[in-house]
This record gives sequence, C-alpha cells and structure tokens, in this order.
Amino acid sequence: MFTQFSNSGESVGFRENKAVGVSIEHLSKSFNKLNVLKDFSLKVAPGEIFVLMGPSGSGKSVLLRHIIGLEMPDSGVVLINGKDALSEDIREHVRMALVFQAGALFNSLTVFDNLALYLREHRLGTEKQIKDKVMQALTLLSLEDAAKKYPSELSGGMKKRVAISRALVMEPQLLLYDEPTSELDPVSSAMIDEIIATLRDQYRVTTIVVSHDRDLAMSIADRVGILMNGNLIHIGTPESLKNPTDKRVSDFLYPKVDLNNPRFKKIIP
Amino acid sequence: MNSIRSVLEGVGSTLILFMRSISHVGTLSRQKSRFIEQCYVIGYTTLPIVGILSFFVGSVLALQSGYSMQDFGTQQFIGALVGLSMVRELGPMMVAILLAGRVGSAITAELASMKVNQEVDALVTMNIPPAKILVLPRLAAVLMMMPVLTVISNLVGWFGGALVCKYTGFISVEPQQYFQALRHVVKFKDVIDGICKAEIFGFIVVLVCSSIGLSTRGGPREIGAAVTKAVVSSLVLILVLDYFVTKLLLAILS
Amino acid sequence: MNNSQQTARVGLFFLLGLALIYVTYETLSGGKTFSRSGYTVVAGFPNLQDLKPTDDVRMAGVRIGSVYVTRLGKGRAEAVLQIDPQYTIPSDASATIVMAGIIGTDYISIDLGTTQAPALKDGAEIKTKITPDIASIMTQMAELGHKLDSALSSISNAVNGSGPDGGVFQKFNRLLSENQTKIDASMTNLQEITGKINRGEGTLGKLVNDSKLHDDLLAAVGDFKATASEAKNVMASAQTVLDQVKAGQGALGVLVYDKQAAEDLKFTLHDIRDFSDKISKGQGTLGKLINDDSLYFGLQGTLKKADRAMDGLNDSGPISAVGSLSKSLF
Repeated sequence: MFTQFSNSGESVGFRENKAVGVSIEHLSKSFNKLNVLKDFSLKVAPGEIFVLMGPSGSGKSVLLRHIIGLEMPDSGVVLINGKDALSEDIREHVRMALVFQAGALFNSLTVFDNLALYLREHRLGTEKQIKDKVMQALTLLSLEDAAKKYPSELSGGMKKRVAISRALVMEPQLLLYDEPTSELDPVSSAMIDEIIATLRDQYRVTTIVVSHDRDLAMSIADRVGILMNGNLIHIGTPESLKNPTDKRVSDFLYPKVDLNNPRFKKIIP
Repeated sequence: MNSIRSVLEGVGSTLILFMRSISHVGTLSRQKSRFIEQCYVIGYTTLPIVGILSFFVGSVLALQSGYSMQDFGTQQFIGALVGLSMVRELGPMMVAILLAGRVGSAITAELASMKVNQEVDALVTMNIPPAKILVLPRLAAVLMMMPVLTVISNLVGWFGGALVCKYTGFISVEPQQYFQALRHVVKFKDVIDGICKAEIFGFIVVLVCSSIGLSTRGGPREIGAAVTKAVVSSLVLILVLDYFVTKLLLAILS
Repeated sequence: MNNSQQTARVGLFFLLGLALIYVTYETLSGGKTFSRSGYTVVAGFPNLQDLKPTDDVRMAGVRIGSVYVTRLGKGRAEAVLQIDPQYTIPSDASATIVMAGIIGTDYISIDLGTTQAPALKDGAEIKTKITPDIASIMTQMAELGHKLDSALSSISNAVNGSGPDGGVFQKFNRLLSENQTKIDASMTNLQEITGKINRGEGTLGKLVNDSKLHDDLLAAVGDFKATASEAKNVMASAQTVLDQVKAGQGALGVLVYDKQAAEDLKFTLHDIRDFSDKISKGQGTLGKLINDDSLYFGLQGTLKKADRAMDGLNDSGPISAVGSLSKSLF
C-alpha cells in the first residue's frame, strides 16, 4: 500500500510526497498518576486531514508528541506505514514535522536561518540551493520580507506562518499542527486554514491538526475526532458534527452562554 | 529519598549527554561557526574578568604570605609560593569558578529557555540532536579556551604578586628576586598540571550546566531555578573534584 | 559584530594563548632559546653540590649571569656559565659555589680579580676554588689528628725501646727509667694537646664551627696538611737520629754512653717537660693556640685581613706556629 520514500534531495522546490498512514493502537500515557491517554486508538489514512478536537488538557498535544516521538508511551504503539514510530528506520526515512503551538522558533536565529537549519544540518544541497528553497518556502507564505528578522520581532500570526514554513522546508510526509489558529484573529485564522488545506492538496501530505477551533474543523477537515478525558468520544466527517447526537459533543461544540445560570458557579461546590 | 533520586538522575542524564555529544564529534568540522561563536563567548569575553581577578588573587597571595613570612625573614621565597600556588591551584580554580558563574549560568539559562520554549523539541523533530549542535560546540570550545585562560590567569597572577612584593614596605622583594625564586621552584610540568586541571573543570562545568539546562521542565520560573542549580552544582563539583584531580595528577606524575 | 570579526578575535586570542604558554615554558626552563646573549665560561669543580641550571652567577655580589648547564667533564664536574655581555671577568678571578641559605639556592660567586688581568673570552675556563664543605674539613681534621697520634706513638715506641739492639737500649732504658716520671709527664701533656686538637677545643674547634671562615679555613686546612707532613719529616729525622743512636753515633749515641751527657740529657728532658707544662698552662704560642679562646678572635681578625695572603700567614700566623713549634719540639 505504501511505497518506500525515495531520496532525490538534489531537486530544488517541493516535490509531491508519498504520504504516510498513521495508526495509533491502544496508546496509554500518564503523568504523575494522571491518566492523560487511556487505551487510545486511531487510524489516519495517507493524504488525509484529520482534525482532533477536545477541551484543554484532554491530551491532544500529548498525542501529537507521541506520534512525532517526543514522548514514550506507557503502553501501546504508534505505527507509521506499519512500523513503530520510535524505530530508527522511521526516524531516519520518514520526514515528519510538528508545528508547535507557540511556534518554537529558534530565538537566536533569524527567520531565514530558522528555516535553513534543517537543510544545513542534514546537508540537503549547496548553500545556494538551500537559499532558493528557503526563499521559496517563505514566499509561499508571504514571508519573504521577514527573512532577516528575528522571531521576537514578529507578530503572533507571522510566527505561526514561519513555523509552518519551517515545517514545509522539511518536505514532510506527515505534518502535525498543534493549535495552529489559537490566539489569532479571525482573518489570520482563516489564512492558516487555507494554508493547511493548500499544502495538503499541493504536496499530498498527511495532516493531523490538533485544535479546538470549530471553524477550522468544519472547513478543511476530512474527518474530525473529539477527544475527551483521554478517549475519543466521536469520530466522523465534519457534517456529522452539525447535528451531534452525543450530548457531550454538542455541549463542547455548541456551548450555550447562559448568564442567569453561570457554569463556573456550578463547578465550585 | 527523592533528593537522592534526583541527584542520581542528574548524574545519569549528564553522563548520557556526554556520551551523546561525544558520538557526534565527527560533525565538529561542519560546525565551525558555532564553535567559533562559543570560543568567543567562553574565551574572549571571559578574559577581562579572569585578568582582573587573577591579578588580585596573585596580589593578595603575595601580601598575605609576605605578612606571614616577615617573622621568619623568608620573603625572598614569596615568588616560589605565589608562582606554584597560581599555577597548580588558584589559576585553574579561579578560571573554573569564573567560567561557572559567567559562562555556565548563561549556558543553562539559554538551554533552559530553549527547552521551555520547545525549541529543543523542535530540534528533535527535525532529527537534529540537541547534543550535537548545542552541547558539542560548547564542549569543544571550552577545551580550546581553558588553556589560554589558565595561562593568562597564571601570568597575570604572577605579575600581581611581583608588583605587591616590590611596592609593599614590609616585603620589599625585587621582581628579579621574586622571579628567580619562582623559576627555581615552578616547573613547566606544574603548568601542564594546572592546564589539565582547568580542562577537566571547564569540561565538567559546561557539561553539567548544559545537562541541567536541557533537563529543565516547566515555565520561566524553572529557568531561574535551573541556573541556580547549575551554578551551585558546578561550584561544588569544582571544589570536590579539585581534591581528587590533584591527587590523581600527583599520582600519575610520581 | 560580523562573523569574520569574531573569528579573527578568537583566532588572535588563541594565538595569544599559545604564545603565552610558550613564554611560560621559556621562562621556566631557563630561557634556553632566547636570551642566549653574552658569552660562556667553564668552571670545573670536584663537586657541584646543589648547583643547577638557572642559578645565579654573581661577581662580588652583583648578578652577572646564570648557570647555563651542568655536566661531567674529565674527572670533574663542570658548570657552564652564561655571562651577560656587558660584564667582563678578569682571567685571575676565581669562582666558588656559595650556598645562599639552608633552604636557599646555590649560586656561583666570582671574585673581582685584578683589573690588569686580561678578560676571559667565550668558552674560556675560569679558575675555581674548591668549595669548603664541612664534611671534608672534618675528615681532614681527623686525618691530621691521626698523623699527630702516629707521630707521637713512634716517638714513644722509640723512647721505650723495642729495637733489635738490646745492648744499646738497655742502657738507654735505664737512663730513661731514671727519668720515667718526667718523660711520662711530658708524654701526658703532649697527649693532652693532641687530644684537645682532636676534640676541636680552642681555636681549631672554633674554626671548624664558624662558617664565616670557610674560605680562610680552607687555607688553614692546607696549612695543617703542610704541618702534618712537616711532622712526618720530623719523625723521619727522629728515626734517623734513633738509628744513629743505635749505631752509637751522634749526640744521642754519645749521651747513652757518656755519663756527663746523661746528666745533660736529664736537664734536656726536664726542659721538655717544662715546655709541655707551659703548653698545658697556656703559656707560649702553641699553648695559647690550644687553650686560649681570645687567641681565636685574634686569629679570626688575622685571617680576615689576610684575604689573599695565606703565604704570609706561613711566616706570622699562629697556625704555622704549630709547624715551627713542632719542629722545635723534636
């Protein structure tokens, strides 16, 4: 089903990827006796945009960190193209990128150097080829003017775009977004949504987005999952969310603001 | 129980970081600019403070020993005392302590904030080991710069002592006599000893500070805590190791 | 700051470090590569003691160079001295090794010499004086004591008579036995004298204990040697006399056979006893030398004044009086 990734790094520009499938099987993880993920299973098909929603602290980001290998599961396994995500083979041969919530840009490097770091460290081309590639990625996200700036000089939306373009120069086969639209104004959010969709369409990259942005899920997702207390309580197309049957889902997606009966007063006993 | 465990964890993660850094030593030739930058930070920018402190350490040493020696009339041997103490002990020690305070704290702060800002995680997702680009250039730079700093510290300390000996009334030892006594007692082997010591201290300070920085978890508050921990650990390690390293060097040389 | 500037600074800094390490090395290993200006002279000693390279060379207390290298030459130890170019050393100046203090460093001391003497050239050999060293002085003193002892025992042997010619010696014995007490007293006194010298009392003892007089004492030891060899000569002559006595020749021969002469001998022996009594009581030069401390101080003064005049000391010095007295004694 999946063909092996072939190395043809000398070409400038982004090529169409052999997208990878992700399969998460019976994953459990706890921090300090707090169960964050409980026997979690999920399959994401190659080239799909899967949006994982859920309230804060439900374990969405932890799941992403497991997929990319930043966390070790207590039990269960993450499979990429049928192989353990932590194995050397996958780490070496499958290009995965994570767009961090806060960007995680290297503060000591300029935007250009942030993007160039990966290419330079892995010696993907000459300095000129690297420059071309980086400028191409920046242009794609309308960031060419910011190339010489440091991350601290950028606005929040620009930081996210730089983080995405940094992921892009890696030519990932699997692209993970952690809250890409949080803390952004509606216009910037819409722009990020468009970028995510465009990248998937142009480069056929398997995409997993962790977000609690309902608009994002509705507009670009192929499938949406809702994670609550470490378990998937709903999985389906965006249409299935329009009229949810599960009360927990509808309460999460369409919360009613009732000023006469505020929630926070119910929480406090 | 918990504190023992955290100490053991610290030792373990430091050793693992050491092994990881060493395993990337072949990439050093491609990290020239990072290496040079670290050399600049560790060596060049540390020089003024090393110079000033070494000068006064040498001076105070001469002053105190001159004061204690005046009853015996053995002031002409101050050169030997200051010379040997600077070269074998105080030079390397001074440089290491300054390194811990000035460079070690900066390393921990930088790496801890990178860790807290998920920059380290970003490196890992890019398949770039943090040990390779963050720790290895610093270790190489400190090994390169420590001999330079130490030898400067030694010489400045010697001259500080000589000046005090010449211009202090109750000592009144001419520089010529001072340096003759110094030359008579201090062997080049002692200088090499001191440099070996400085290399060990410097390496350990940078390694421990890097390790503590990279194992920081949490927010900005933890960065401050990590810096404190790194400097304290470095100082304790320097002073404790000093004894054993000195003993080892004496055993090797005899 | 741009990158190349940083690189340049680090490079400069590192080179500076290397240079300083080199400077330290040069300083500590005696500046063998640089500061080799000036010229060298060779000083040969039987023993360099604690002298090592980098030690000072001083002329009349002024530093004029350093010991460049120490090595073994033909049957001696050699120190090659690196002399600063502005200093010249007269060829009649001589070098000694001086210890600066108990834990201090040795240095080579060169005296001023005379200005008329031509200067030493590069690679020339400088005259040396053997360094007085307490151990060797003590050995020489002991040797001197032994020599005196054996000289005196030869005399007592001869006087007590154990020769093959009993006829002569029976008479001689009788003669001696009449004067037994007198002779014994003389001998006792003589033994006391040598005992005192051996024990190092009086002037000789002081001399040995006073380190300031090293140089002078060295000359004194030479004199003692000469004295001892003179004593030997005296003994040789004494034996010749005894041989002549045995053969009945000469004054003693006549003494033994001639009654009048025997009477005279009594007086002579009496005189000898008188003389040794005087020595014991501290009268006469030799007596004072052995018994009187004040003479030691006089001697000290004399030795100080007579820096290069040890020859003169032979005539006037109290030490040489030992020589002349022992001559007149026998």
